[in-house]
Amino acid sequence: MAQITQTNGLFQQDDSARDRLNAVNACKRRFLRQDVTATLIVFAALVLVPQLPFVKGWMLSQASLAIIFIIAALGISILVGYTGLVSVGHGGFLAIGAYTSALLTKYYAVDLVVGIIAATLVSAFFGALLALVFLRLSGAFMAIGTLGFAFFVGTVVNNVPIFEGRDGILLDDNVVLGMEIGDFGFYYVSIVTLAVMTLFVYCIVNSGTGRAFMALRDSENAAMSSGVNRLLYRTLAFSISAGITGSAGALNAHIVNYVSAEVFADIWFSVDILMAVVVGGPALLFGPYLGGIFVVMLPFFLEELADFAFIMKGVVLILVLRFAQQGVGEVMFRPIQNYRRRKLMEAGGAKVD
Amino acid sequence: MLGQQILSGLATGSLYALTAIAVVVVFRNTRTINLAQGDFAMIGAFLGIVFLKDWGLNYYVTILLVVACCIVLGFGVERIIMRPIANSDWLTLFTTTIGIYYILHGVAGLFWGRDTKAFPLTFDPTPVDILGAVISQGHLYNMGWALAIGAVLYAFFNFTKQGVAMRALTDDPEAAYMMGIPVRFIVLLTWGLAGFIAGFVGILIAPIIYVSPEMMDEVLVKGYVAAVFGGLYSIQGAVIGALLIGVAENLAGGYIGSHVKTATAFVMIVVLLAFRPQGLIGIQKRREI
Repeated sequence: MAQITQTNGLFQQDDSARDRLNAVNACKRRFLRQDVTATLIVFAALVLVPQLPFVKGWMLSQASLAIIFIIAALGISILVGYTGLVSVGHGGFLAIGAYTSALLTKYYAVDLVVGIIAATLVSAFFGALLALVFLRLSGAFMAIGTLGFAFFVGTVVNNVPIFEGRDGILLDDNVVLGMEIGDFGFYYVSIVTLAVMTLFVYCIVNSGTGRAFMALRDSENAAMSSGVNRLLYRTLAFSISAGITGSAGALNAHIVNYVSAEVFADIWFSVDILMAVVVGGPALLFGPYLGGIFVVMLPFFLEELADFAFIMKGVVLILVLRFAQQGVGEVMFRPIQNYRRRKLMEAGGAKVD
Repeated sequence: MLGQQILSGLATGSLYALTAIAVVVVFRNTRTINLAQGDFAMIGAFLGIVFLKDWGLNYYVTILLVVACCIVLGFGVERIIMRPIANSDWLTLFTTTIGIYYILHGVAGLFWGRDTKAFPLTFDPTPVDILGAVISQGHLYNMGWALAIGAVLYAFFNFTKQGVAMRALTDDPEAAYMMGIPVRFIVLLTWGLAGFIAGFVGILIAPIIYVSPEMMDEVLVKGYVAAVFGGLYSIQGAVIGALLIGVAENLAGGYIGSHVKTATAFVMIVVLLAFRPQGLIGIQKRREI
């Protein structure tokens, strides 16, 4: 790609333009690599958590909860980060996943793994349905529409008899492949789910589908005029996002073997998931990890001071949005990235700007 | 029975309407979906308890003080938090107000505790009979106040320089700026107006529902649904939406069962948005390329 630049008052062909483009592309690849590396490090740390000597039962269930939040945040990042749609209703998908898996394991005595897969599929189906209903919405209207959806699901599980409302459904112990598993086993089931979902998100984002999502996010009109099928990809994004969040919901039902409408009736679950992804960095693989752990761990450390936890949450959110709008993850990579960029630019013979 | 349900629906709807107006005014001037609107009112209600019970002030003085405090709160939020990020995208502004929501929630819990408090009754609890419909005096009283505030807002938007400037800002921010309208000041005023409305909502709703940090969540969400129902840009639309929702959910609660009451508004909004994505009397904004 040749480019005309003005040097010393004369127009001349700039041979360094191609080098510069190469350098920029290399930077992007590097950035992706840093993102993946950071994700892998955190993932390895999560795998090792149960092996730590001081981790006891309830801490383990907190860690499981963190993983559930990470999965849910991964799901919403497909929408918020890559497709540019907002959902304040992912608590609804969490509830759909939770109840699908809970009812299946209770009444049909299926395996936990089957429950999780079924929850993912059912949730994805409802996601696609919601996308078709809200075909023409965007921005604030989309937010309120999805909020209405979450409330609607909350009311349904609260009042339809099979879901047993606020009394909740008590489940048997978790069974995987015919074996009963305890807290440790459950933790590793969550870890495996997280690994699968992370890999899935990575593959989607770096495929043609992911590029179509991002094209829609950057400019809907430009994307459509380049042949991106808006209806198809929006529905797909919603469906994938809902499916991933649904699997998190299934895990959430089995973490304490109990589901009740109490948890899903209000919208703050949905808001917490949205907050996790905004704080961590919506368009990063690493962002949901950071945000999910943050959202779960903050009340954990400030247990007796719930009000301080609220204030802290608010202050952190506002500060992040003020000073790091791409999320904390992006800021963490920035110094390494600047260094890399300078080196690559110099190596490519381009001027550092 | 029918008249009864409609009347008490209108009473609840009038409070949704006030919240919806505040939401619409802030949204169309600053592109901000203000999720903290309900919490301004919540803080107002708690302050009302402090002024009425602890300080033993007169009811009208309390209203005055509470509204003044809420206006200051609105100014403060704009000046300290919203102004530095005023040019950011929609999602950033929205999530920032979630942050404000969390902070106000925590502050209220810290100062006044998490448990619910009763608000001193400010009216005679005996119901009144109007054309065969029985309604509590509190509801009647709230409707009166809502009407009065509506009239004040109407006058503000039509007969004062600032109000007209605010409408100009809504129509075209750039043109308003070119015409010498002090945009920053008007935006500050917008948030002040949100505080003004919230102060009244807080003090009016407090005797009907108990006062707690979560008290406004449902009213706020209904206010939102009403605002979107009316198209998010139109005050009249928001008021119509709010009254419709108030009446509809009361009718559903009365004839189908109280458990469907909360869901009514959301079913309405989901159905409406599926068929009219721009709201009931909304305008389809020109798409930007």
